[in-house]
Amino acid sequence: MGRRGQGADPSGTGDDAGVDATFTALLEDSAEELYESAPCGYLSTLMDGTIARINATLLDWLGLDRAGVVGRRHFADLLTIGGKLYHETHFAPLLRMQGELRGVALEMRTAAGGKLPVLVSSVVKYGTEGEPLLIRTTVFDASDRRSYEEELLRRRRDAEQARAEAERARAEAEEARRQAEDAQRQAEADRARLADALAVLQQSLVPASLPEVPGLETAVYYHTASADRLGGDFYDLFPLDGTRWAFFLGDVCGKGPQAASLTSLTRYTLRAAALHDPEPTAALTTLNAVLHERYAAGGDPRYCTAIFGVVEPGADGRTTVRLASGGHPPALVLRADGRADYLPTPGGLLIGILPTAPIGTVETTLAPGETLLLYTDGLTEARTGPGCDQLFGEDALLAFGAGQAPASPQETVSALTKLLRGFGDGLDDDTALLALGVPAARPHTRPATNSPS
Amino acid sequence: MNPLNITRSDTASGPVLHVVGELDYDQAATFRRHVDQLVLTPGQWLVIDLTGLEFCDSSGITALLAARQHAHAAGADIALAAVPAKTMRVLTIVGLDRIFTIRPDADTA
Repeated sequence: MGRRGQGADPSGTGDDAGVDATFTALLEDSAEELYESAPCGYLSTLMDGTIARINATLLDWLGLDRAGVVGRRHFADLLTIGGKLYHETHFAPLLRMQGELRGVALEMRTAAGGKLPVLVSSVVKYGTEGEPLLIRTTVFDASDRRSYEEELLRRRRDAEQARAEAERARAEAEEARRQAEDAQRQAEADRARLADALAVLQQSLVPASLPEVPGLETAVYYHTASADRLGGDFYDLFPLDGTRWAFFLGDVCGKGPQAASLTSLTRYTLRAAALHDPEPTAALTTLNAVLHERYAAGGDPRYCTAIFGVVEPGADGRTTVRLASGGHPPALVLRADGRADYLPTPGGLLIGILPTAPIGTVETTLAPGETLLLYTDGLTEARTGPGCDQLFGEDALLAFGAGQAPASPQETVSALTKLLRGFGDGLDDDTALLALGVPAARPHTRPATNSPS
Repeated sequence: MNPLNITRSDTASGPVLHVVGELDYDQAATFRRHVDQLVLTPGQWLVIDLTGLEFCDSSGITALLAARQHAHAAGADIALAAVPAKTMRVLTIVGLDRIFTIRPDADTA
């Protein structure tokens, strides 16, 4: 560029100037030729826009002939409608104000009706008095640049579309995550509701707590082996009248919800029967009739074992207990003198098998410090070894009781609970324990005194 | 947990089911299916041979009672043969030793 610039300078002297002149002559035989055939459009207009001069390049681009343009058309006439509007509102006023404009994008109209995107630069030529004489304008074909920009635009649109799609995918993922969280919350709520429902059902099988019985101490333990915590064991304790209390404990055959519904029926049948006739035998006889009628007659026999008792605390602390049993393991008594005895009820039969079931009975008296223990066979049938036949058993329970006696109901149940936990997986059945006893005469204890020091 | 294995033989007085394995909650249904398939005629004896019984819980007891009901419904009778001591103890506790006819072994006609 430097060389050519120097070459164009007429004041250039010496060898360099001579070489440049040679180059110039080689490349452009005349300034006129350069003007007409330059790779850009040139035109000059009067200040009102009338075209005074235009080069062949621009005429060729637009498909016009010189005679139809020079002196007849205004620069604005060569523009598209949009280009003309822009020219009138922006281009021309700015040019008059500033005297020059560079690189303004406009659209020209070709004779064939096409559009030619161009970059236009214009300079106002002033006279010696500073008055504007004419406008010189250079026009560059911007088709390539336009398509480049359009390509840029297209790519930006693509990028924005991709970004929008990514955003949408992210939103969808977010939505899916929220739905999954909702579903999980719902599942947790369902689980909690089911647990609540099971807890309510569970309370229909065994009372949440035992009532206070004047002159008696009681303790219970309840373990369910099934995952839904609905067991086949049941117990209860409730008043019959001002002086007598009834209690029972039993075990229905089977497991799970079916066993639980039988358990519930059994418990409320016994309670209702006891209020009608408080004889222990009568309550179990009624239960037998109900179960036999309800299940065995319908071809779906179900059975239970139960032990039912009536306890009457006496004025002297000696308490009478009368028991009836239908096929239930015998109650165990822990005596004040350290003995432990079973209270067999021979002749009793599993309840619900026969239309009229034989019921075994037994009676005993509890002195202060003595405890009566009812249990289900989850205790005596607990596996204590790897084999099926290594069970805790009745003999071991008797020995355990003798080892504990004398013991209060609470002490007895606590010791057995600890024992049951020790069985671990061996305790694979429901297990219920109900102990009641007469509190021991309070042992004489020396009152604690604070040391003077 | 040993699977329950039940085989059948026939005597002049009726069918004999030989029960080998554990009669518990999981296996009792198998036993009941076998019993339900038995066709008994009035006066026959259904004998349940418990020589090979390794374990019997309350579900097993229920299954034995269902067999008893099945026999009685057909006018037949039922006997338990060769009851292991441990199961005998359970049967005694629940009073079933007086409900079932108990035989020392399956061959006793």
